[in-house]
Amino acid sequence: MPSTIVTLTLNGTERELIARPSTTLLNALRETFGLMGAKRGCAQGGCGSCTVLLDGRPAVSCLIPVVTVGGSTVDTIEGLADGDRLTDVQQAFVDHFATQCGFCTPGMIMSATALLDRNPDPTRQDVTEAICGNVCRCTGYEPIITAVLSAAERRRDAPQSPATAGL
Amino acid sequence: MLISVEIPESAEAARAGLQSGALPLGGGTHLMARLNDEAAGDLRLVSLRKAGLRGIHVEGATVVMGAATTLADLEDDARLGYLSRCVRSIASPPVRSLATVAGNLFVPQPYGDLAAALLALDAELDVLGAGGARREPLERIVTGGLPAGELVTGVRFTAPAPGTFRFHKASRRRLNSGSIVTVAARITVEDGLVGDVRLVLGGLGRRLIRATGAERVLLGAPLTAETVARAAEADVIEPVGDAYASAWYRARVYPVHLRRALLGA
Repeated sequence: MPSTIVTLTLNGTERELIARPSTTLLNALRETFGLMGAKRGCAQGGCGSCTVLLDGRPAVSCLIPVVTVGGSTVDTIEGLADGDRLTDVQQAFVDHFATQCGFCTPGMIMSATALLDRNPDPTRQDVTEAICGNVCRCTGYEPIITAVLSAAERRRDAPQSPATAGL
Repeated sequence: MLISVEIPESAEAARAGLQSGALPLGGGTHLMARLNDEAAGDLRLVSLRKAGLRGIHVEGATVVMGAATTLADLEDDARLGYLSRCVRSIASPPVRSLATVAGNLFVPQPYGDLAAALLALDAELDVLGAGGARREPLERIVTGGLPAGELVTGVRFTAPAPGTFRFHKASRRRLNSGSIVTVAARITVEDGLVGDVRLVLGGLGRRLIRATGAERVLLGAPLTAETVARAAEADVIEPVGDAYASAWYRARVYPVHLRRALLGA
């Protein structure tokens, strides 16, 4: 089967790529578009390091043949910050030392962002469930959970600046 | 190696696409993981993503879910609250946003917890074959599989009366883990006696198990710890061992989890 042209709305901009049947969304992001935020960890959907937002929902991009999601909206970690201005979730990760080696961080932040966009007032349990597919081998998760709860609190105090503003 | 992916825009076109030996691709959460391992040979797929098979319809007590409805769609639907515990026990949000209802019916154990729940609810499948559309009991497909070239287009069942559906899953971690023992049951209790019961076990064996022996013990008996302990002895279960648990461990803890599922303690 020949390669096909796929159109995506990627971080707010319509983009096209030529994809083979075997090209995953993750490969397209990294190799075609040069977006290195999403990481290839297990390539089994088990570690969450490749998590992006597909039509607003967190999704493991390693398991998606990109030709099947033509016409979809894809948001990656690169689309969050406005220049040097971090989103509330990103800033909370910095403030609470929620990243160490950083490999899980893009996926973790996309899962957290998806949670807060749907549930602005999450419990600790909600946060744990939201990031249960994102493996972190450094932090022990506690700083991450604290950061997400803190971002939610900050967002409730300043509802005019949602994490995905500008997407 | 994935050599082709068709993306048909109707169920009939998807079925036609399967005639060349291609496999249906739901969310890809099982199939694509295998492909990424590079352990599979040349493979052709027919994606169901754009075949118009996504959606949940509830009319009275009848629930119909399109084959490509995602587990996240189920999770979001307040009308299906009785399935929430089951769905949230499966994988993680970034996987549930892809994984589909029909896909879950065909993943190997110890996955397929939704299939266990749907089997307990005595679901029927809408199947599209060469002779057209027909309905098949899920139980028949679980036992005998689906002929190559046929396509599940939907799943339908009668919503359980409030309080009659039980789902309990034991796993290595509280979230995002394959099953050690899954118990799904539809059970009614009248005047302290079990009036009707349909009991399905996941995680234990190579396939989902309809625990008919346990059902016979429970039927008409008082729903007590003693009855449930006898029910747990009533079926010949040959547990499997894997990375989640040994066969010995599964056999050892099955009665405990049957009790927790049916009695809550």
